[in-house]
Amino acid sequence: MKKILIVDDEQDIVESLKFVLETADFTCYCAYNGEDGLRLAKEIMPDLIILDVMMPKINGYKISRLLKYDAKYKNIPILMVTARSQEEDKLIGEETGADEYITKPFDLNEVVKKVEEYLK
Amino acid sequence: MIRILLLSENNNIIEKFGGILQKNTYDFSAMSDYNLVYDFISAEAPDIIIIDNNLKHIDILNKKIKSLCENTIIIFLLSSDKIDKSIIKYANAFLPKELTDDLIISTINVNLRMKNSLEMLSNSNKDLADSLYRLNALYSTSSQFAGTLDKSKLIQYMIEGMDKALSFSLTCTLSFCTENVPVLILNSLYELSDELITAIKLRTILNYNSIFKDNKPPIKLDIDKLKVIKHIKYPANRFTFTLFQYDNMFAPISLGENFFGCIEIFKESSFTPEDATCFQTIAQQVTLPLKSATLYQEIIETNAKLAKLERLKSEFISIVSHELRTPLTSIKNSLDILMSGRCGEISQSADKFLSMAMRNVQRLSGIINDLLDLSKIEAGKMVFNFAPTNINTVISYVKTALSEVAKSKGLNLITQEAENLPDITADSQRLEQVLTNLVSNAIKFTPENKTITISSEFINSKNIEINENFKNSVKLKNGDYILVCVKDEGIGIAEKDLIHAFDKFAQIENSLSRKAGGTGLGLPIAKQLLDAHNGAIWCDSELNKGSKFYFAIPVSLN
Repeated sequence: MKKILIVDDEQDIVESLKFVLETADFTCYCAYNGEDGLRLAKEIMPDLIILDVMMPKINGYKISRLLKYDAKYKNIPILMVTARSQEEDKLIGEETGADEYITKPFDLNEVVKKVEEYLK
Repeated sequence: MIRILLLSENNNIIEKFGGILQKNTYDFSAMSDYNLVYDFISAEAPDIIIIDNNLKHIDILNKKIKSLCENTIIIFLLSSDKIDKSIIKYANAFLPKELTDDLIISTINVNLRMKNSLEMLSNSNKDLADSLYRLNALYSTSSQFAGTLDKSKLIQYMIEGMDKALSFSLTCTLSFCTENVPVLILNSLYELSDELITAIKLRTILNYNSIFKDNKPPIKLDIDKLKVIKHIKYPANRFTFTLFQYDNMFAPISLGENFFGCIEIFKESSFTPEDATCFQTIAQQVTLPLKSATLYQEIIETNAKLAKLERLKSEFISIVSHELRTPLTSIKNSLDILMSGRCGEISQSADKFLSMAMRNVQRLSGIINDLLDLSKIEAGKMVFNFAPTNINTVISYVKTALSEVAKSKGLNLITQEAENLPDITADSQRLEQVLTNLVSNAIKFTPENKTITISSEFINSKNIEINENFKNSVKLKNGDYILVCVKDEGIGIAEKDLIHAFDKFAQIENSLSRKAGGTGLGLPIAKQLLDAHNGAIWCDSELNKGSKFYFAIPVSLN
């Protein structure tokens, strides 16, 4: 079974994503802040990461950069979840290496479809 | 008495002239010694000098006399026929030796009269030059006034102007315009002791209070708190209390209700009536620019406040939108899961209410997106990806995306695209947003079995017709445009509402359209997006017949 890491400080969102992805036969790992997310990513070597942008301590852009510029992890697809907020606007133009951007509020079925595409 | 000096070594001549002139009550002196002559004339220049041209070194003597007695008449006494050419240039008149007494007297008198006339002429010339100088000072001061909107500079220019025109000993300016507190500016020739400054402060406050007579002054002045700025020209010298015996003038600096300060000016010599006029003129002249400067300052402050408010509003909207988006995502996700049946079978009535919740989540998310877009555009933070774009591609994209919705409402959505349209420089996603908005509106407001038409054409600005309502707000530059029109057969817009169609939250006023859903932000966003493309948007409409929404984008984007 493919492993998916979900990183978001919003627990409700993590839970709904986890629910639909598990129903679609994926194994889900969850982290609720950037630090845990980065640590877990290196520990479990997931097949795909769903990553929120605005999080305390380490934001999603930074995590994405750290993984995508590491030869060991650079092949893990990253779906970046954004709320198009003003703080995020300030980060625009920074290199993230993310494979896909999903805007909140997103359609869960679409997310599942995207995940399946990347993991075909 | 008229002073006449005779220079001669010839005693006969001296005696002769002495006889004639003393008899006629002139102050007559005669001498021949050079050194004595110099002392005599440098002490006080005589009115007339009569020189015997037999005198030795007459040329040197002449030069000396001319340099010492500029206005003295020089008459040469010709004792022989030979006239030294070098002396001609110094002479006002010549007297032959054999002249009768009467002729000598009349020659002297004629020359005296001439001298008087010349002096009068020269005096009036001097007066003229004085007036001219004062006028110049006034002129340059008023042009300085015109050149600035800085109130403290205006006060400074006023003081400088007065110094130029009146050359004062001391100017005491009470200014409410120099800093945030009342300031007493002292421009003085000489140093002022602390005691003297205290006295001047007291005097100024009394003057100030006297302006308002029985009324209360606008600001109460406290002698201990009144700030003093001193400018001393020659600090080595000191003024004493005799300063208060100098001639002085005082004027308030005010225009109607506006009070800017007052000024008192001291001068050791007395002021002329012209000085007084000049003083009043400058003190009055400065008030109008001070008033303009006050208004200008108010406008600047209001603008800054407005800009800050505008920025706060944008930030507020952006933050709120973000905060709304996250819980909305959770609601939407929950609904998604429930509706997918993953949590168990959904009854028909449950499905109806779940769909209702879902529809409203989508509507709310639409509003948040619109609010965010608008606040981004207004804050100038929207990023555009301009690229060569074919408008027909945009039209067919929107048609494909919305044909299902149109069909479900029983509407005909057709396109009439002009062929071979040139590309425009545009952000195609943003144009899709504009067109989607216009077509969605048309779908919302058009009843069943009617037709909605999207058309495109290539047209020169001079052939574009804009109705009266938008003539003033829509200005197209000369040149070629791509014109897109969305035509519906819907409820239309009343003429009085047309002009407000692109105002923010305009449709909130209209209960009918509120029923149809929407944020009321779509059209203002469309307008802003077209502004960013140097384009324009406007509409024609007739109540119950239908509307035509147009937008135009220049073919060559500047």
